Amino acid sequence: MVEITALSRLRGGALQENWGLDARFSGGAFDGEQRLVLRASAATGIAASMTRLQEFAVQKAAFVAGVTVPEPLFASQDPAIVGRQFFIMRRAHGIVAPDRITSDTALEPMRPTITERLGRELARIHAIRPPRSDLAFLAPYQEVGPAQQIAGFRAYLDRHPTPRPVLEWGMRWLETHIPPAVEPVLCHHDFRTGNYMLAGTALTAILDWEFAGWGDPHEDIGWFCCKSWRFARLDREAGGIADRAPFYRGYKRESGRSIDPRRVRFWEVLASVRWAITALEQSDRHMIGGERDLDLALTGRRATECELEILMLLDREGCPRDA
Amino acid sequence: MRDLPSGPALLALALDVLTNELMLLLPEERRPDALLVARCMVIAQREAEVSPEERPAILREIEMLCGQGVDALRRFANDLRIGAFEKLQPRERAARAILWRLTIAKLRQSNPKFLADNGVG
Repeated sequence: MVEITALSRLRGGALQENWGLDARFSGGAFDGEQRLVLRASAATGIAASMTRLQEFAVQKAAFVAGVTVPEPLFASQDPAIVGRQFFIMRRAHGIVAPDRITSDTALEPMRPTITERLGRELARIHAIRPPRSDLAFLAPYQEVGPAQQIAGFRAYLDRHPTPRPVLEWGMRWLETHIPPAVEPVLCHHDFRTGNYMLAGTALTAILDWEFAGWGDPHEDIGWFCCKSWRFARLDREAGGIADRAPFYRGYKRESGRSIDPRRVRFWEVLASVRWAITALEQSDRHMIGGERDLDLALTGRRATECELEILMLLDREGCPRDA
Repeated sequence: MRDLPSGPALLALALDVLTNELMLLLPEERRPDALLVARCMVIAQREAEVSPEERPAILREIEMLCGQGVDALRRFANDLRIGAFEKLQPRERAARAILWRLTIAKLRQSNPKFLADNGVG
């Protein structure tokens, strides 16, 4: 027997709907009051996002591997319940607000510790390796490696009404600098400030697993460090919260593997291209998909910020004086 | 001939009313939406102020590099995709300069703070 005692839409989650759910269970393993989150697909989405049932399986694998993630409890695709696929997990407490996390002076002395912990968390995620029967729905790495990603971005731009010369220039560099393949690991693919939760200085959750898949571990490191996710502190290269050193140190201590800065640079350039394309896709949900949402409409403008970063990363001569 | 106050002047006044008067009356949970509205108005204001000459000047530069014809921007993008400028340094440098100008011109309208924070423009 379950009684829902409170239900409210949670802010954030551009692609999925998250609902805070308080429930009173009578008997069974969950007897008593439980604070939960119901995560359901939004009305429109983007191509790279997985289904909620798949996300439930990934989150479960991460939970079992010891990653700090809200325990996923139930999943359902019965349309009679909320009209679409959803899953329910425990509700972590804390804040995700990236501007606050990157600018809060109260966090200052603990920033290296938090960053090192994030490096350790990422290494735990990367300890999950294929083959995994519970994650058999994830595409093999050969189908989602950098060459395939670049081909996908180009196919998207070919359909897009506005040409993006800087992205084309950046992708040309990427296609001529693809690093040798590595043994794939489970990548979160959106591991960044804004997708983890802090209660004070304690890490309480790694969130938003909808893009997870097999990949090069440097892919997640490049994404975490790329400028788009530094928010209020562009000078702090590890997610806007600290230098790279504690992040890399935590990763190495947990995984026993060193990080190759050249590979990280490649993936950082790819991160800027990927976020630019994602921003345009988000804007399409408003422009083409008809979703009336100011935030989505404005997100497309962020693609140009990524383009500036691509120029800054790749043009050794820098900005011309007369530009 | 248009009536006064001008469109940009009305927009500036509306923005002031929104951020300094209406925002305070909104419930806490709707204030982020009001900030997004203000951001849209600021972008519209900046776009209205752009010199009509600026974009054609960049397009002329692209045409000098890629030749005249329809949809020069798309032809430029396609040339960059196949590395068409990579073997001749002056053309490669000219292409890069155009990329910077295109990007800076767009960010001056949508997010000049981001340009300043990156020490560009």
